[in-house]
Amino acid sequence: MNHEVLENLRLELRRGCLILAVLAELRSERYGYTLRKALADQGMEIDEGTLYPLLRRLESQGLLLSEWREEEKRNKRFYRISSDGKLILKQLAAEWKSINASLDGIL
Amino acid sequence: MEMIDRYLQAVRFALPSAQRDDIIKELRDSILSQIEEKEATLARPLSEPEQVELLKKLGRPCQLASRYRQQRHMIGSALFPIYWKTLTASLSLAFLVLAVASIATAAAGKTFSASLAVLSRYPGVALMTFAWITLVFSALEYFGAKFRVSDRWDPRKLPPLVKSDPRKSQFELIAQLVIQTIFGVWWLAGLHYQYLIFGPGIAFLRFGAVWHTIYPLFVLLVIVDLALTASRFAWPRWTQGGPVARLVMSALGLIVLYFLINAPDLFVATDPSTPQMQSLAKNINYGVNLGLVVATIVNVINVVKESVRLISRRLGRVHQATVGG
Repeated sequence: MNHEVLENLRLELRRGCLILAVLAELRSERYGYTLRKALADQGMEIDEGTLYPLLRRLESQGLLLSEWREEEKRNKRFYRISSDGKLILKQLAAEWKSINASLDGIL
Repeated sequence: MEMIDRYLQAVRFALPSAQRDDIIKELRDSILSQIEEKEATLARPLSEPEQVELLKKLGRPCQLASRYRQQRHMIGSALFPIYWKTLTASLSLAFLVLAVASIATAAAGKTFSASLAVLSRYPGVALMTFAWITLVFSALEYFGAKFRVSDRWDPRKLPPLVKSDPRKSQFELIAQLVIQTIFGVWWLAGLHYQYLIFGPGIAFLRFGAVWHTIYPLFVLLVIVDLALTASRFAWPRWTQGGPVARLVMSALGLIVLYFLINAPDLFVATDPSTPQMQSLAKNINYGVNLGLVVATIVNVINVVKESVRLISRRLGRVHQATVGG
């Protein structure tokens, strides 16, 4: 029971952070697989079932742009942050820093 | 790689139709990239158990697909594809049962309006079917949410691959073209030389005047039918050929049905002075009229279904084009 509650709360906590991490990582263009690896290399593990729907959602919100291109003999969908996404990222990053500072004090 | 394709096929089944191709293309690339990287590290192809492990990490096909759907309150996105398939299958079955009951009523010698009344119960039956199925799935969603979904599933047991390419082979199209030509010539000739259709029955029955009135429509139907098949042969990459052909033919069929249903006599007795022959013609007209009503309903459903399919494919393509697919 405790484990389940912890897992749900952990997922909830991670959800918002993932958006921030994905937007920040897509300041340079990447396709899904390399984005996932880049995030994992920095300690932000994310599975395909979470990442790809998230990318679609962010794209439909106008925060990301995507393009199908051939690379290594296969078509890949490349994503990058849009100008609206950059603005949102800037504001979210400021919000994150403020929350972080507050929590440091509280904890 | 067959197991990967079977997995993607199962995911595809539960995805929103407008984005299916795009999502599967991206997932396939992601899975293949992972396999390539693992194989490069191991310096050998992945074994079957390793492929199974990789797919199990992705999760059940239904669960993965459900992440691409919007959250629903009554029936969650994981159950929704199964709910939708069950609902459409049950509504179709209910219609089929009523259509058979309606024909049985007519065969039992009841009036035309009595057999139509059986069919007119469909809206009520459909509403009840919808209510019960929604209730059952809502309950499943509510109680199912209290149990953890088992992780024990085996990608090796996924359904086998089905032919996903909607295009027919060149041989199939040539065979179809030959059959359509033979049938078209037989039908158009038979409307003029009626013994070609009625055979020895010509001594008792003939076509009513309406068949000659709408003869140009039949010529048009045959030509359009042949042209659509020929165009699918000439442009084999035209994947929407099948749905377009079905839509056009169903729409033209509706025009023909309109004239036939409104005609006073579809068939007339060759010898109208005999009461038995008149009675035979009357009964046949009655049965065929009922069949035409059922055919009209089926055609309307086909027109709606194919239009929706074409529009959703179009929307999917527009989406892909927007993102550069």
